[in-house]
Amino acid sequence: MSEHHPTVVCADPDDAERAATVEALTAADLDVVGAATVAAVDAAVDESVDCVVTAFSFPDGDAFDVVDAVRLAHNDCVCILFTDESPSDLPRGRPDQVVEYVPRSIPAARERLADVVALAAAESTHAAFPVPDREKERLAAVRGYDVEALAAEETFERLTALMTTHFDIDVAFVGLVDEHEERFVACEGANWRTLAREDSICTHTILSDELTVVEDTHEDPRFAANERLDDLDIRSYAGARITDGAGNALGAVCCIDDEPRSYTAAERADLRRFADEVEEQLSLRRRLGAGVT
Amino acid sequence: MGQRHDGRYTFAGTPLNPVDPGTNILVAGPILDGTRETALRLLAADSADGIVVVAADTSAGEILTGFDALDCDVSGGRVRVVDCNRADDEGLGESVTAVSSPADLTGIGIEYSGQYEELYARGYDAVRTGIYTLTPLLVFSEDVRSVFRFVNIVTSRIRTADGLGVCVIDPEAHDDQVVGSIAQSFDGRVDVRGGDDGPEIRVKGLPDQPREWTPMR
Repeated sequence: MSEHHPTVVCADPDDAERAATVEALTAADLDVVGAATVAAVDAAVDESVDCVVTAFSFPDGDAFDVVDAVRLAHNDCVCILFTDESPSDLPRGRPDQVVEYVPRSIPAARERLADVVALAAAESTHAAFPVPDREKERLAAVRGYDVEALAAEETFERLTALMTTHFDIDVAFVGLVDEHEERFVACEGANWRTLAREDSICTHTILSDELTVVEDTHEDPRFAANERLDDLDIRSYAGARITDGAGNALGAVCCIDDEPRSYTAAERADLRRFADEVEEQLSLRRRLGAGVT
Repeated sequence: MGQRHDGRYTFAGTPLNPVDPGTNILVAGPILDGTRETALRLLAADSADGIVVVAADTSAGEILTGFDALDCDVSGGRVRVVDCNRADDEGLGESVTAVSSPADLTGIGIEYSGQYEELYARGYDAVRTGIYTLTPLLVFSEDVRSVFRFVNIVTSRIRTADGLGVCVIDPEAHDDQVVGSIAQSFDGRVDVRGGDDGPEIRVKGLPDQPREWTPMR
């Protein structure tokens, strides 16, 4: 089995400086791509990139423009500022542009950078959302559920259609939470395919086995500034986590409405029953697909 | 690869047992009931370790005075502070850096990393990080997702560098759901309350620690 080497984009407009940094990172068993401009970083970054190391000043922008370009393409990507400019001399970025930093002024700076990058690229997250315990195991479990291959879509579509009438809501869906986004495997009342994990309320639902009910997204500090929810007319939410037999959180079964609303104890119990049905369908179909009786 | 800190972090003079390198602890309690003293004790417990404190709820001077009251030697640049309120820190030297506001998460992150690297360059491969407290970061932030990212970056650095994280939050200042989501980035939680004879703690999520309310000393 071939060993995975983290992929790093090294951005520096100075050819000699960039070459020296690329050499140090390559010596640390990292796969390194060089970039001399913000535009080159923009072209080089996708979800396969684990880390971006950036100088501060570029002919076409600065490090915060690099961060914006990186997070547009890969929102959770590790970004490390590597510069000899003093932090107090740098302009301040926006709160969402927070990055790691290694000063180029410290002794053996490139060797230290290589250490920080190697560890961060392999083990860190710069995600703008809470990451569950045992996330690697959870993601491996989610990858095991190919809903299309399990021929469960029609069943889930019937269930979500039933949910919209039962709860008198705009939208009901079954979503699986992947590494970077939530994937809607059945969605009644809207034509949603995916939603970035930092924008998804289910990101929080999968943290707990308790139901997540958000009666008004505008009044909940976790979601009040989330414009994407407004774009999708998501004003109220109720979600129940679905897990596999080992307890890994796969995603959630959810109710959405475009107005604030509450859910009675009976409605919450019914939502849990719908989620139990989805869990059971996934488990049964996976066992059948594997030839287990 | 970088030098790793093989020894466990110890907490002499407190009821906490040692924890593994790379552990992040959330200290939750009302700020007036001994929570600051508790956090500073956990940070100051080993004179061989470097310390970086992000002072969001107080000034760098107050943090250094607090360490001094615990007989923690802050000389020689071993203790470094990022002051998030640009308080009157003149005369505290280069071990204190400042940002203008707890809302400047990017500035705090860069100054924190700079101070961490300064300690590393001085030979401290065991570094204890304190954030006192997360509450202003959340209160001043327009979008809590930026705070999630900041906390993930700081706790990731602590975990990968085999450091120790001691981050304080006042749970009464936030919705339970927000505290619960923030707590996800931490390995364990130390609850603090005021007792008749000083602060008491109980620990969740970490092995071999006091589960019931126990006096800090």
